[in-house]
Amino acid sequence: MNNHSPDSDEALGARLRAELPRYAAPTHLRSAIGEGAAGAQPRPAWLAPALAAVATALVLGLAFLPLLPRILPADPTERLVRSVVAEHTRALMWGARRPEIVPAALPWLTQESGIGLRKVFAGDDRLLFVGAEPVYLEGRRGIALSYRDGDGHLVTYTVLPWPGLPLPEPRRVQIDRWRPALMSDSGFSAWVWRQGDLACFVVSDMVSESDIERFKDYFVRLRVSTDPVPAN
Amino acid sequence: MASDEFHRAALEHLDALYNFAMYLTRNPPEADDLVQETYLRAFRFSHRFQPGTHLRAWLFQILRNTFLTFYRLRERESALAEDGVPTWDTPMFHDAPEESSGAVEAHTDLERALQRLPEEFRTVLLLAEVEGLALEDVARVLACPVGTVKSRIFRAKERLRGLLRDYSKE
Repeated sequence: MNNHSPDSDEALGARLRAELPRYAAPTHLRSAIGEGAAGAQPRPAWLAPALAAVATALVLGLAFLPLLPRILPADPTERLVRSVVAEHTRALMWGARRPEIVPAALPWLTQESGIGLRKVFAGDDRLLFVGAEPVYLEGRRGIALSYRDGDGHLVTYTVLPWPGLPLPEPRRVQIDRWRPALMSDSGFSAWVWRQGDLACFVVSDMVSESDIERFKDYFVRLRVSTDPVPAN
Repeated sequence: MASDEFHRAALEHLDALYNFAMYLTRNPPEADDLVQETYLRAFRFSHRFQPGTHLRAWLFQILRNTFLTFYRLRERESALAEDGVPTWDTPMFHDAPEESSGAVEAHTDLERALQRLPEEFRTVLLLAEVEGLALEDVARVLACPVGTVKSRIFRAKERLRGLLRDYSKE
């Protein structure tokens, strides 16, 4: 193409510059942008990398969360109560897995749990026996007996071999001739006591003041009528 | 660059940006919106501007990217509308000025011919020929190599010449 012809690239470029109308920014736009500029604060240069770092840390934290050690109570009694309450919650949610009939299932339960029951509370007019099953908590085999009262409260009696389990003195409560410790965890109450080399627990969701009186009564019924011993 | 100084320097290019926006949208209210959005982004991300580089080209780049973002959004919405899904009443930006109410009419054959060019051809001509940006700056705005810019300018002018010839025969 001839660059000097009227159709040349240069001529076309010149036409574009000369013939195309130019549109000037309207006054209102100029003032609007001017006002916007006055109030505009540029983002700090460090903000983007800082946000990226925080986001990365969060993602890594979430990724490794299952691998992080759980925060467990340092006190062995509290730790044990937490495990027993967790087992009680499981029974509450899904029911006893093996609702065995006591005393017919006692030999089997003793064999599975390592806990013998010289006598066992089989329920009365206040507490209905629901089931019994072996449990495995904190690395030890034990036994759990479940009862339900007239108001629907599930009461779980759990026995684990745990020689010398310390009981927190300030939490011990005198009930008749016994002094179990009243502990609480995750909205549940637990009576904790020692019976020889065994640690015994009665757990329920009875936490209010009036409920505690009834919970004391349940403790007495279970304590009097149940006599666990190590099977070995 | 200090904030006030940056704002002042950026506002010096307002007319050029508005002119470019008008040729992209052919609609004054949409050109207003496009330019406002461009300055909003420029002020917000002013820390990313490298002093010593061409501020004018940087602003044109933001404006074009903003236009394309909304234009593509609108194209997706149009596709949905054809499938029977309701769309918004008024799209923000478009490149179909003839069909739009409030669009600025082309008064000359040259303007009409330019309007009929695809956006990437229109843009290279406007930036290189009308605004006088160096080919390197145009390449930066379009995010493509300088060779591609040269090729597009050549093809755009060929297409423009063809359209002008057609108009002269009418």
